[in-house]
Amino acid sequence: MGTDRYAYASRLRRVEAVPKLWLTLGALILCISCGSAAVGLVTLALMGALTVGLGGQRAATLVRFLRLPLAFLAVGCLPIVFRPLPAGEGALWAAEVFGRFRWGVTAEYLRVGLTVFCKALGAVSAMYFLSLNPPMTDLTQALERLHVPKLLVELMELIYRFLFVFSDTARRIRVAQESRLGYQTAGRGLRSLGELASSLFLRAWRQADRSYTALESRGYTGALNTLPATRTPGRWLYGVLAAVAAVQILTWMAERSWLQ
Amino acid sequence: MSVAIETRGLSYVYEDGTRALEGVSLRAERGKVTGVLGGNGAGKSTLFLNLNGVLTPSGGEVFLAGKRVSYARRDLPGLRRRVGIVFQDPDDQLFSADVYRDISFGAVNLGLPEGEVRRRVEAAMARTGISHLRDKPTHALSYKQKKRAAIAGVLVMEPEIMILDEPTAGLDPQGVSEILRLLRSLRESLGMTILLSTHDMDLVPLYCDYAYVLRGGRVAGQGTPGELFLRPEVLRENQLRLPRLAHLMEILAREDGLAVSPGAATIGASRREILRAYQEGSR
Repeated sequence: MGTDRYAYASRLRRVEAVPKLWLTLGALILCISCGSAAVGLVTLALMGALTVGLGGQRAATLVRFLRLPLAFLAVGCLPIVFRPLPAGEGALWAAEVFGRFRWGVTAEYLRVGLTVFCKALGAVSAMYFLSLNPPMTDLTQALERLHVPKLLVELMELIYRFLFVFSDTARRIRVAQESRLGYQTAGRGLRSLGELASSLFLRAWRQADRSYTALESRGYTGALNTLPATRTPGRWLYGVLAAVAAVQILTWMAERSWLQ
Repeated sequence: MSVAIETRGLSYVYEDGTRALEGVSLRAERGKVTGVLGGNGAGKSTLFLNLNGVLTPSGGEVFLAGKRVSYARRDLPGLRRRVGIVFQDPDDQLFSADVYRDISFGAVNLGLPEGEVRRRVEAAMARTGISHLRDKPTHALSYKQKKRAAIAGVLVMEPEIMILDEPTAGLDPQGVSEILRLLRSLRESLGMTILLSTHDMDLVPLYCDYAYVLRGGRVAGQGTPGELFLRPEVLRENQLRLPRLAHLMEILAREDGLAVSPGAATIGASRREILRAYQEGSR
């Protein structure tokens, strides 16, 4: 069940999702708008520490998750750092490619690349706080409280719920196909996959009918009104938000004065 | 005995012209378990949806506690509160990824104050034995647990009559016993009237006080389990069979000339029956 497993094990499980959402957004926005490598690294450290310290997630889990986007980040930053240079421009390192084009790394773009890398890593760390602490249903509930249109929130909740139902169905169809050698050759595999998709669509259609009937029999009249389990308000998280923001801004100011 | 729900000449025709129910008359007594038996496509599910107002009968009448049920739009919420349905596949019923919120749905729809909703959700979770699952997402529950959550979701509405469509389908033997024990406790401690459909004939003598056999949308037979098993041909004509033990009694009586009745379909009853026949024979 993916990352949700960790959210359900979080120590902040019984705290309202709204302050967690603001904490993440605050850290994320500051991290991105400061445009500084130091702030990125500080955000990475702070939000990581919060996930481990407050959320009670194992550090190894967090490191494993942080490793996931590393390859994307590296690939994304490479073209920023390593680029064609006009002849005669000073560079940290440069080489002639095919004896004609001069490619290399300059101090300026190395700094830009590093900033982008750190900034992105900080942002990812902030987002992980959100995905590893409140469970999805709490998050959608928080969105509703923040006046996101009810229709949108209900759709998100239903999609999330039936994602698991349909992925289970798809898995079962796939096993049934494989047991009849449906994926022996590439061509047959493609055909089987198409059949899987179409039968999944039909099942989803019928599922919608049955779910609607079931909802109706429990008094559904157009709104999926439910009552969530009680949560503690967690207003103290706004204090944490202020502290994180203060450290981010101080880091940014320190970096600026140091660079000048 | 007072009648909790009764149908008289109930008919239902689907939009495509399929006559799913034709003149069904049955009654479920208060605080009893009434079984609706029948093969696939006998009309059991259609019958249930008519009783709860999801479908509106094409003909005939339904009486709840002696009063004629109105299928007018404004009366439907009241009907659905009083008659709850637990569907066969819990995945059809559980729409929220959060167990607690899913269970609360029916109670919130009744427009109850928050405190009352919480009290009912807690009570329903405790009664169905899933209080420890409140912090789990729906997709992490086992089939058995989902089934209980679905029952809890209907219990919060505190219905007078609970309808269960194939409550034991897809459960392992222990799961079957657990669900049936739960139903028995609902009947005994809440005095709830239970209507259930099944084609697991071995469960009928254990849990049903009375049963109807449905076939092609008509009532093909009815009686207490003991009475039904005395006429095995009615069951066999309708894609059903005798419970194993009743079948054994039938064979002992027919092939071996032992004076036992196939009405004895539980272990206790057939044991008594065999002992009695044995003692009479040795005398």
